[in-house]
Amino acid sequence: MRHYEVMVILDPEAEERTVGPTLEQYLGVVRDAGGSVEKVDIWGRRKLAYEINKKSEGIYAVLDVTCEADTVAELDRQLGLSETILRTKVVRPEAH
Amino acid sequence: MANRKQIKPDKRSARKRKNPLDAAGITYVDYKDVNLLRTFISDRGKIRSRRVTGLTPQQQREVARAIKNAREMALLPYTEGGRGPR
Repeated sequence: MRHYEVMVILDPEAEERTVGPTLEQYLGVVRDAGGSVEKVDIWGRRKLAYEINKKSEGIYAVLDVTCEADTVAELDRQLGLSETILRTKVVRPEAH
Repeated sequence: MANRKQIKPDKRSARKRKNPLDAAGITYVDYKDVNLLRTFISDRGKIRSRRVTGLTPQQQREVARAIKNAREMALLPYTEGGRGPR
């Protein structure tokens, strides 16, 4: 099991209150696979440095999870399928 | 090259400047730390050269990696200022 940091940019049209529950839904993937979620840090609305999908703002969130490699891959895949999620990035901070 | 003229004064002052990462005691360059990374890019949004930043080769690579990650997440621009991408 390894520690991963997943950054997510969500559609700014979603309400900020609903972001937590939305992410929680996806984090079920990690919990079901025996991983753990250390932290869910919602940064809130932030201006994008450039437009993504014609949007100039995004809601940022950073998830700290510990799980198997296959599990994050699945989490990343599922996040990517959602239309309310503009972009994701998975980083392993300890690898650097 | 038009860039030369802009680099020269930087170069002179860079010689005296200390390594900015060591000074701040940073061992892991986080791509989320936009304020730190901003100090390593030009006003055009380009990554500054090692000659200007005064970093070690290893640190320069880490900073460059972090900037590129930050760009992918729209935390930093690919291009900035002036008209159109260059």
